[in-house]
Amino acid sequence: MELENYARVAIIGGGPAGSLTAFFLLRLAREMGQTLQVEIFEPRDFSLTGPPGCNMCGGVISESLMQKMATEGIQLPREVLLDAIDSYVLHTGSGSVAIRPGRDEMRIASIFRGAGPAGAESQQPLPWLSFDRHLLELAKGAGARHVPRRVRGLARDAGNRLLLFLQPERGAPRRGEGELLQEGPYDLLVGCVGLNGSGVKLFDDLAFGYRPPPSDRAWIGELYMGDEEVHRRLGNAMHVFLLNIPRLKFAALTPKGHYATLIILGQDVDEALADQVLRSPEMQALLPVGWQTPVRPCHCQPRINLGAPHQPFADRVVLVGDCASSRLYKDGIGAAYRMAKACALTVMTRGVGAEDFRQGYWPACRRLDRDNLLGHLMFSMDGLMRHVPPFRKAMLAVVDAEQQDPADPRRLGSALWDTFTGSATYIDIFRRAAHPLNMYRLGMAFLRAVFLRSRA
Amino acid sequence: MSLLFHDEKPVLGKEFADGEVILREGEQGDCLYVILEGRVEVLVDDGSATPFRLAVMEKDAFFGEMAMFADFPRVATVRALGPVRVMSVDKRGFLRWLGEDPSFSLRIMVKMAERIRLLLAEVVRLRGVLRERSGT
Repeated sequence: MELENYARVAIIGGGPAGSLTAFFLLRLAREMGQTLQVEIFEPRDFSLTGPPGCNMCGGVISESLMQKMATEGIQLPREVLLDAIDSYVLHTGSGSVAIRPGRDEMRIASIFRGAGPAGAESQQPLPWLSFDRHLLELAKGAGARHVPRRVRGLARDAGNRLLLFLQPERGAPRRGEGELLQEGPYDLLVGCVGLNGSGVKLFDDLAFGYRPPPSDRAWIGELYMGDEEVHRRLGNAMHVFLLNIPRLKFAALTPKGHYATLIILGQDVDEALADQVLRSPEMQALLPVGWQTPVRPCHCQPRINLGAPHQPFADRVVLVGDCASSRLYKDGIGAAYRMAKACALTVMTRGVGAEDFRQGYWPACRRLDRDNLLGHLMFSMDGLMRHVPPFRKAMLAVVDAEQQDPADPRRLGSALWDTFTGSATYIDIFRRAAHPLNMYRLGMAFLRAVFLRSRA
Repeated sequence: MSLLFHDEKPVLGKEFADGEVILREGEQGDCLYVILEGRVEVLVDDGSATPFRLAVMEKDAFFGEMAMFADFPRVATVRALGPVRVMSVDKRGFLRWLGEDPSFSLRIMVKMAERIRLLLAEVVRLRGVLRERSGT
């Protein structure tokens, strides 16, 4: 089941997964001498500040994605970049340590997915551009058409092709109450609907057995401090907090121009947990003196992917991005990039039948899902860090010693760097962290910490 | 904070001033570089007083890729022509992407094929020059 010349492709969702799938499909089709008609259905206006223009995300682009995009000639314009990051600082209840990669170079970007936090519109024209809007423009530049409508229903026609039912434009004359506009038929439907909102439920209409991955909520807030304070306090570093607070996995504070983005991951994350993190001494030490949390900072509680989806494809239908397979706790945009490519490659080199997706696209999903299982195991070990102070001290001591020696391979530091930057797979991180020399150093530092503690 | 391109916002990559050497012929390398902004010249030591300029490269081009495929020392020196901003790409990630992403491999092959095409054209041109000089 292959796409013919001038085949119609509908992509629901104009976030990174949707725009990148359109971009890679069109680029590959052009290289293969084929023409596709790709339409992206995205009602969100990325030029709006606050929730109406935002796809809810921490807005950090990993080092590995930045390198890959640069090599493939996809650049991030200056206007999209809010800040560049060159290091991490790890904060624990036993102290802090800075983790720097071997290179003196900025390779991590912080961006706003939409046009910025609610309230930022007071400084119109905005001095930055939305990342999602940039990717949508990239897809449009490659030949995609943007349809700013919400899809309300799906069906198949007699030839098994796809029909979309759209919400009419506001103010458009209606022939009947609740009437939807029909579009199609389409030869391929790509669902890039994320996990927030009702997008995933659309696919129930097609009854092919899709079930979204398990998910939990994160807390993401934009804290206004002003450019000067943000850079004085945070520098060009992302600050990661591994604190002994129940339900907290970790929190991160990222510089983003006039704002610092606080990301909190854990179990059943809510306002109370966010408040506890903000009041922790480790966090307070980084915030400006006398700084008060705004009564209602621009914040959201997006759903994050925690596992594998069930059957994210059927004949002429495939799901890509957070609603299918993604990276656990990090690098969601990088995962969307990889999966968009895997989807485009399957469509153009194999076909659009369920069997084509099973053989071409599904193995890429499974690789990611299997790696996430190891990620779960590694993150479950954070209890050691939080509840056993000597272990915490041992880890800080080893990382600190590594950073002092320029000739050291920095195995633990680089494993932690990749864990929080999303620059490597969990299996790769695990191999480095479990290196015998690393284990020996950690063991010795642990014994030293226990000995010092017992003497004290 | 950048002194070459901006006064306010941090920028991605690493900056080099006009004339600064980014990589040097004969050194061992473990990364390639992508030009994010500006131009570079590729120089080869041909034994004469001044090195031979093999090429000028601009935004989106990459150089230093031979070190990614084999343990060759760098075969040329690359120097900034005016202010330049580049991003380094690590060997480990590059080799992983070659293995897991066929479209990435294709893109690299297309770029290298283009480079071979230009070099062949240069060989033909130089052969013509030699023929003219020798009068044959």
